[in-house]
Amino acid sequence: MSPIFRLLIRRLGISLIVLIGVSMLIFAIARIIPGDPARIALGPNATVQQIAKLRAEMHLDEPLLVQYGYFLADVIQGDLGTSLYTNRPVTLDIAQFLPATIELVLLAGVIMVGLGLPLGIVAARYRGRWPDHLVRVFALLTVSAPSFVWAVILMLLFAFYLPLFPIAGRISDIYEIDRATGFLTVDTLLAGNIAAFGNVVSHLILPAVALALSGIGQAARLTRANMVETYQKPYIEMAQAFGFYPSRIARIFALKPSLIPSLTVIGLDFAAMMGNAFLVEAVFAWPGLSRYGVAVILRKDLNAIMGTVLIIALTFLIVNIIVDLMIAFLNPRIRYSTRTGT
Amino acid sequence: MIRNALLTATLTAATALSSPAFSETVLRLDEVAVGELDPAKASDYADSILMFNVYDTLVLPQQGGPGHVPHLASAWSADGSTYTFVLRDGVTFQSGNPLRAEDVVYSLERNQALGAGLSYLFGGVSAEAVGESTVKFTLDSAYAPFVASLVRLPIVDKALVEANKGDDEWGEAFLSANGAGSGAYTVSSHNPQEETVMAKNNAYFLGVAEAAPDKVRLRYGLEAATVRTLIAQGEHDISSQWLPPEVMKALADDGAQLLTESGTGAFYFKMNTTKAPLDDVNCRLALASAFDYATAIQMIAITDDVSAGSPSTGAIPMGMFGANGSEMVQAQDLDKARAYLDACKYNLADFDIEVSWIAEVPLEERFALLMQSNFTQLGIKSHIKKLPWALFAEQVSKPENTPHISQLFVNAVTGDPDTLLYGMYHSSTPGTWQSPEYLSDAEVDAHLEAGRTGANDAARETAYASLNARLMAIAPTIYGFDRQSVFAASNRVSVPALSDPSMAFGLDGMGFSFRLMEMVE
Repeated sequence: MSPIFRLLIRRLGISLIVLIGVSMLIFAIARIIPGDPARIALGPNATVQQIAKLRAEMHLDEPLLVQYGYFLADVIQGDLGTSLYTNRPVTLDIAQFLPATIELVLLAGVIMVGLGLPLGIVAARYRGRWPDHLVRVFALLTVSAPSFVWAVILMLLFAFYLPLFPIAGRISDIYEIDRATGFLTVDTLLAGNIAAFGNVVSHLILPAVALALSGIGQAARLTRANMVETYQKPYIEMAQAFGFYPSRIARIFALKPSLIPSLTVIGLDFAAMMGNAFLVEAVFAWPGLSRYGVAVILRKDLNAIMGTVLIIALTFLIVNIIVDLMIAFLNPRIRYSTRTGT
Repeated sequence: MIRNALLTATLTAATALSSPAFSETVLRLDEVAVGELDPAKASDYADSILMFNVYDTLVLPQQGGPGHVPHLASAWSADGSTYTFVLRDGVTFQSGNPLRAEDVVYSLERNQALGAGLSYLFGGVSAEAVGESTVKFTLDSAYAPFVASLVRLPIVDKALVEANKGDDEWGEAFLSANGAGSGAYTVSSHNPQEETVMAKNNAYFLGVAEAAPDKVRLRYGLEAATVRTLIAQGEHDISSQWLPPEVMKALADDGAQLLTESGTGAFYFKMNTTKAPLDDVNCRLALASAFDYATAIQMIAITDDVSAGSPSTGAIPMGMFGANGSEMVQAQDLDKARAYLDACKYNLADFDIEVSWIAEVPLEERFALLMQSNFTQLGIKSHIKKLPWALFAEQVSKPENTPHISQLFVNAVTGDPDTLLYGMYHSSTPGTWQSPEYLSDAEVDAHLEAGRTGANDAARETAYASLNARLMAIAPTIYGFDRQSVFAASNRVSVPALSDPSMAFGLDGMGFSFRLMEMVE
């Protein structure tokens, strides 16, 4: 069995255990926090009898372990229950809202990596000079303000004062697109509607940039710091002594080892965006899973909370596995260490 | 060059193909909560907007005054606890099915069976189809506001639901995503996280004006900053009432119109009458006299002319049966408050009054601070407690856990004072979010029963006027102000039911009947 495959099997096993642990933890926490879900779901005009009836339907009057048993039995059959927030199956809600968030997070991730890494490389390559100072100021600025602040600033600048981008939603009202996959970039292309595709992309840009900005700063700072450290290693000095071009030294000798810690953090940042996107989604009225997650938590919608948290946890685990595999690919020491189980 | 020309041509063609073939008018509005499409589960504002446009009811509130007028019914008669309604001829559902008496019976039974939303209004009511177009309701006991409560019984297309219900006895899944009514607007799509899109029903039995919007987009959960920007950019038409007053004012300053809806409810400071020192009527009257009503009104003013409330004249909002005249406007009177304090059996200096506010309504924190400052003028200690709604609703189920003072907006869900007052003050309904007073007063109960069973409007008016006087005398509540919902709107739309008092319905959400709106552009 190849080392990479062995690593993958091991990570999948650990992920399954983590997922079960997360489900137990969230199941318990969601039920312990104050507030009766049935009362919240039925609204202020519900009678005591209506509340009691819903509590019985939701098994809320049974012990926690029995409730967890019902939950597991349903999950095994692919049933996450009905959301009290939308009155629809949670699986349907997730299927509808997840593509919007994935589309947003993917573009934000591409922007984060596409800008963050090059900026870090440039800063390290020209350390102590003006490009380095410029990148460091930019990175500090983006890291120190949260995404929702950037969301409001970007909306004000590029939608209100300078109306270049749309303010809300995923696509303009004039386009009627069949949502076959839920990914509107894909759906518009499948429909062969280039104008609609352009419209979808224009809707994506501001929220994606707002979401990516702090990650860009983080990636740039980390890459710079790692590369600066690598530049002080003797083999770099040797490469310089051999007269290699600075660009070649940066690309081949300094970047690869520096990427490993950066990749781990970028991977975590990328997965965290799934959960952190809610404020950006709220500002841009983006109908995604993060916003849905916050709405269901505020309404103590137990089934929907479980469904959303499990999906976000799953995303974390998948991204972590991908990052682990990439690191193993980049670093043979890690790859081969799995043979001995260390 | 050729490649650029081809690209330009492709883009132009694609744009042309994707644009609508004709110019349709689109109304865009928003609500904070997700709208519930199933009419049997409808309870809040967004649900009401959907319900009143997709479905019809047997009667409608009289515009600009009290009482009700026939709508799906052509006439009705009452005989004790029996009400007989004759249906209008030739009404069809959006599906094309004819609307018959059995649909009315089905709608009531479905409502009662699901037991959600406002179904409690129809407890003890049974219905029977007497022929195709006559329906007879029988009530277990006399209930004068029955006709008023019918504005909350939308009529559902039984045949359509039966055909689409699958294994689901009452077609809940179908009706949560689709319309099955006879209303002036049909449901085009419903995405709970994003919006419900509705289109004009040109076959509506009353017809729909040409100028009414062709399409309506009811958006959900927009942030205040987003609504502000959208309206300013001409991409949104009517805001929800939950926009902060500062944002409303900014929009009004930019030229937006302010629409209003009033006469359906009030803002109350409810005192726990079971907890010392508020179990003493003089202590309660002291606090009621100490409250600065005029400043509270200033705090909710949006512009010089428009406010989110008007001065309270008592327990019943102006415009409802039993309301006091404008000469009874509440005002702070510290001398009177001191006199009541002297008569109170407790020394209030020994107590620390707990003033709660609902975490989801930041405005209430300001009222709590105002109240604290007013009480300090009398030397009364108090502390402020922030309670999330869920926790508040749980705490008030026991009198010992209920704060001394709770702040609440309460509305009459049918427009009738019974649905405002009975749940708040009758001794049989303590411990709900509406009744943290835990009031138990035989005289109040008697007046409430008289209001419920009054033979005619005059008798009910007398019962509620007496109730109002009694509630003022025993002060279980500080009657803060009569509520007025305010909505910021672009000038693209004209909404007579929310701008002209003679066209107002006096029922929450009914002013948003899209068929009565006009798109100006």
